[in-house]
Amino acid sequence: MALPQKLVSEFDQLVKKYPDRKSGLIPALHRCQEELGGWISPQIMEDLAAYFGLEPVEVYGVASFYPMFRMRPVGKHFVSVCHNISCELRGATEILEHVCKVTGAKPYGTSADGQFTVWPVECQGACANAPMIDVDGVYHEDLTNAKVDALLGGLKK
Amino acid sequence: MKPFPTWLLDRTKNKDSHTLAAYEKAGGYQALATVLKKPMSPADVIQEMKVSELRGRGGAGFPSGMKWSFMPDPAKDPRPRYLAINADESEPGTCKDRVLMEQDPHGLIEGALIACYAIRAQAAYIYVRGEYRKSYDRCQAAIDEARKKGLVGKNVLGTDFSCEVHMHKGAGAYICGEETGLMESLEGKRGHPRPKPPFPAMFGLWGQPTTVNNVETIFNVPFIVTRGGAWHASIGTKGSKGNFLCGISGHVNRPGVYELPFGVTAREIVDEVAGGVWKNRKCKAWFPGGSSCSLVKGEDLDVVLDHDSLKTKGSSLGTAAMIIIDDHTSIARVMEIIARFYDHESCGQCSQCREGTQWLAQIFHRIATGHGLPGDVDALDALAKGMAPGKTICALSDAAAIPALSAVRLFRDELEECVRQKQDPIPYQRVEYAGAH
Amino acid sequence: MVKITVNGREVEADPKQPLIAACHGHDVDVPHYCYHPGLSTVGSCRMCQVEVQQGTAPGRVMVACRTYPAEGMVVSTESEKSHATRRECLEFLLKNHPLDCPICDKAGECDLQDFTYQEGQATGRSKEPRRPLEKRHSLGDVIVLDQERCILCSRCVRFFEEVPKKAQLTVASLGSRSVIATFADQPLTGNYQGNIADLCPVGALTLKGFRFQARVWNLVKMASTCAECSRGCSIQVEVLRGGDVKRFRPRENAAVNRWWMCDTGRFAFDHVNAKDRLVNSLVRDGHGLAPRSIEDGIAAVRALLDAHSDALFVASPFCTVEEGASIQALAKRRGTTALFVAPGPNGLKDALLHTGDPCPNRRGLTELGLQPIEPKELAKKLASSKAAVLFGERVVELAGAAAIAALPTSTALAVFDCKAPDAAACTVAIGVPTSVERTGTWINVDGQKGPIAAVKPAPAGVRALARHLAALDLRAEAARS
Repeated sequence: MALPQKLVSEFDQLVKKYPDRKSGLIPALHRCQEELGGWISPQIMEDLAAYFGLEPVEVYGVASFYPMFRMRPVGKHFVSVCHNISCELRGATEILEHVCKVTGAKPYGTSADGQFTVWPVECQGACANAPMIDVDGVYHEDLTNAKVDALLGGLKK
Repeated sequence: MKPFPTWLLDRTKNKDSHTLAAYEKAGGYQALATVLKKPMSPADVIQEMKVSELRGRGGAGFPSGMKWSFMPDPAKDPRPRYLAINADESEPGTCKDRVLMEQDPHGLIEGALIACYAIRAQAAYIYVRGEYRKSYDRCQAAIDEARKKGLVGKNVLGTDFSCEVHMHKGAGAYICGEETGLMESLEGKRGHPRPKPPFPAMFGLWGQPTTVNNVETIFNVPFIVTRGGAWHASIGTKGSKGNFLCGISGHVNRPGVYELPFGVTAREIVDEVAGGVWKNRKCKAWFPGGSSCSLVKGEDLDVVLDHDSLKTKGSSLGTAAMIIIDDHTSIARVMEIIARFYDHESCGQCSQCREGTQWLAQIFHRIATGHGLPGDVDALDALAKGMAPGKTICALSDAAAIPALSAVRLFRDELEECVRQKQDPIPYQRVEYAGAH
Repeated sequence: MVKITVNGREVEADPKQPLIAACHGHDVDVPHYCYHPGLSTVGSCRMCQVEVQQGTAPGRVMVACRTYPAEGMVVSTESEKSHATRRECLEFLLKNHPLDCPICDKAGECDLQDFTYQEGQATGRSKEPRRPLEKRHSLGDVIVLDQERCILCSRCVRFFEEVPKKAQLTVASLGSRSVIATFADQPLTGNYQGNIADLCPVGALTLKGFRFQARVWNLVKMASTCAECSRGCSIQVEVLRGGDVKRFRPRENAAVNRWWMCDTGRFAFDHVNAKDRLVNSLVRDGHGLAPRSIEDGIAAVRALLDAHSDALFVASPFCTVEEGASIQALAKRRGTTALFVAPGPNGLKDALLHTGDPCPNRRGLTELGLQPIEPKELAKKLASSKAAVLFGERVVELAGAAAIAALPTSTALAVFDCKAPDAAACTVAIGVPTSVERTGTWINVDGQKGPIAAVKPAPAGVRALARHLAALDLRAEAARS
C-alpha cells in the first residue's frame, strides 16, 4: 500500500521548506496520524520510510520517541487530560476521574464502544487556565465537571 | 505596586489582534522597515540588542545580543545559517509564548525577520509544540498574510534582504525544548540533545551556524529596535531589563499570564496581580519559574522576581512561570507529580538521567502514597546529587534533580514524617473546582 | 600532536581523537560503554568520566569520549573524583539491571560486571523492582535480546547504521521506557549480525549459537585468521578446554577487518569441530581402504610417486604459505608445477568484508607460483591423469567431493586431508590438521599476512602436512643417492 496521493502532494510541498527532506518526517507523521486512522500503523511507517528514503526502523525510532504519536489503535475521540502540577493543583485528579466516568474509558485505555481513548498527559501549556483537557486537538480550559459533561456528552453518539 | 509601562501584551487587547490589518494598525512592521530602510547594518541591530541588555526568556537567561554575536563572521564563514525559534513551550507552569503566538503572531514574525537580518540567516524555523494547534495555525496564517504583502520571502519590502519564515510542528516531547534536542527534532530525528561543544552558532541545524531563541525573546526585538536599546535597559533591575511575561498558576485566585517589569516582588504578583492565594489560605511553597527550578518557601514571597534576586533564595527565574502551592497541599504529592514528569520526559540517552528520573519518581511516589522506606529521604538527596550538576549531555537531569533537592532541603521534616507515619500527614483534599474566570 | 599528562605520565596525543582514545593508546584503561572506536561517539553512558585540569582552573570531571586533548592538559583517570563519578554512574546503570550474572553468557567478559568489580561498588541503594521486560526476545537466527540486561548504550543501533549502513535496530520509546527493537518485530537480516553480540558491553545481545555453551573463563583463546574467504579477517579462536571451538570472534586489525567479521566466518566451525577425522592413514588393499600407520601411508604415497613421475600435485587453497612452499619445492624437484584448487566466487561477496572468494590463501599460493585451477577443470585434468596427489585441509571438498568420487580407477590418487575421502580412485589417504590445529600464514586478497594458530592439538595420529612432506622428500633423496 502506498500513501494517498493527496498526502504525497502535500509532503512534496512540505519537504521544500527544509534543506534536508528528512526534516519533514515529524510533520508528515502528524498528517498521517490525522488522516489515516488516528495512529501510526506499521504500514504508515513503511510508507513514510519509502517516501523519505529511510529504513522503516528509523521511522519507528522517531515515531515512538514522541508522545503525540500513538503506536496503537485508539478510540474515535482522543481525550488528553493534563495531570501535571498546575492542573493537579486545581483538580486534574477529579477531572480525570470524571472524564473516565463520562467516557467509560480507563486512563490510557479506550472505552468498550471504541468512542473514547483517555490519555493522561504532561503539561500542555494551559497552566493559567487549569485544569484542561484536549479533545481531538482542541483545548478546553478552566474545566468543571459540568463543562466536561457538556463537551463529551455532545460527542457521545 | 506602582504603575508601569507595558508593551508586550498591549496589542493582544485589540480586536482581531492576530491579523495583519490589526497589527499594521497598531504600528506593526515599522521596526522591520526601520531596519531595512534606514538602513541599520546587522552589526547595528546586534549592538542595539546588546545595549538593551535583553536576556533570553526561555529559562536560561542568556544575554541575547551576545548570543547573536556568536554567529561566525559571514566573510570568513559563508555557510547558510538559520534562526530557530523555540516555541516548544512545555516547562510545567509555562504558558506565555502561547498567548503571543495566538494573539499577536505578527509580532513574533517581525521579530524573527529582524533577528534573521541581524544574524544574516536565510530562514527562521518556528518550532511549535505539536499540541499548540491554534498557535501553529495563527502563526502560519500570519506568515501567509505577511508573504502576500512582501514581508516574508524574496526581497522583503523591496530591499535585497530575503528571508523565509517556516512553521514546524513538534510532537509532544519536552526535551525538544532543549536547544540541541530541538534541532535534532527539526531534522526529523529523535529529539536527543547533542553533546556540546560544538555549539549551535558553529554547528546547528543541518550542521550550519544557528541561533536558537525563545518566542518571547524574539517578540521583544521589534520594540527594542523602535524604541532603542537604551530605553529597554532603563526598565527593570540590575542584570534584568525590560518587562517579562509572568505566567502564574496553581493556588491563586486569578491565574493568568501577566506582563510585569523586573523589580516587582513575588508577593506583589501573588497578592495584587493574581488576587492572592485562593480560599484565603497561605502560600506554603512556590516555584518561581517552572518546575525545573528550586522550590521557594511561602515566607520568602518578598523576593524580587529577577535573574539575580532569586539566587539569594537558592532558586532561579527560569521561565518566570510561578506555581503557587497552598498550605493544605502535601509537598510529597507535589514532588510525586514533578518527578513523574521528568521520568516521562527524559530522552533516555544518559544513564544518570534515564535511571535517575525514574528512581526519583518511584521514591517520591512511595513516600506520597504512604509506602516510604527508612532512608528514602537521604536516598533522594544522594541520587539527585548524582544526577547533577553538569553530569549529563543536557540539563534535563539537572532540572529533575534541582526541585527534588530543594524539596529535601526545605521540607525534609514533612517528607520524613510521611515515611515515619506510613501515610501523608497532609491528606489529599479533593478539588471541586468551579472555574476561575 | 599535543603533549598531555595522563596519570602523571607525559604522553603525546592527537588533538583530533577523543581523550579516551589517547588514554587507551597509552595503555590507560578508561571504563566506558557507549564509546567504541569503530562507531560514532554519542557520549551518553557517562561512564568514561576522568578528571581533567587545564591551565589554572580547578580539575573538572569530564567524559573522556567527548573531550579532546589540548596542550598541557592534565588528566587523571584514577583521582578520587573520577572514581566517585564512575561509581555514581554505575549505581544508576545497575538500578534496573537484573544481576542475573550466574545465568548470563556474558559473565566473565561483561563490562558492567568488570567495571562494577573494578570500582568496588558492592552495594546499591535500589529497592525498587526491576523493569519487567522481555528476557528472551529473538532477533532472528543469530541474536537473542535480553531487554532487562540492556543498558541502552546504542552501540548495536549505531553498528547497523554505520558499518553495513542499513539501519535495523533502534531505541524505541524514550526515557526509562526505552528498549532496543527492530521494526515490527522483524528478524535481523544480513551477514553481519553477530558483531552486535561482540559490541554489546553487557549480556543483552548474545549469540543464539553460544547460548549456555560455555563459561567464557573456560575458553582458551588465541589469535588466528578466518578461513572463510580471501579477506582473511583477523579473529580470535576460542576453544572450550580440551574440546570444541565455541566461537570465532573478530580481532581488531585496521588493515583488514577493523573490528568486524561476517556471520559466515563467525559460525564456520563445523569443519574444525568435525568428529569423523582421518587419523594415521588409509591404504587400499583388496577389500578397500584399510587403516594403516602413518609410515605405511607415506610408503604408499612414495610408491605412487615412484611409479608415476608425471603425478599431478594439487594443493588446497587452505594450505599455508609454508605448506605451499614445501609442495612447490617438491614439485619443482620432480620437474612439474603444483596446482591449487581455486573454486570461483561463491556469491557471498558484499561491500564490507566478504570477498566471495572461498580461497583464504589464493594470493599466497599464487605468489609462490602455484597455479590456480577451477574444480571443473581439475576434475577433467585428474580424469586424464595417471596419478595425482591432493594436499591439505578440505582439498577433496573444495575440488568437489562428487567429482573426486567419480574419478576412474585409472587415476591413482593420494590424498592428504582432514576427512577420509570416499573415492574409488583413492589408493592412499593420510590425515592432516585443520586450521585451528596448525600454525602458518595466509596472505589475504590485499597482500596482508594472516597468521593461523594451533589453538588445540590435532587428534592423535594426525601430523602436520609439513612433516609428511618432509618424510616424502627425505625418502626421495634417499632413493636417488
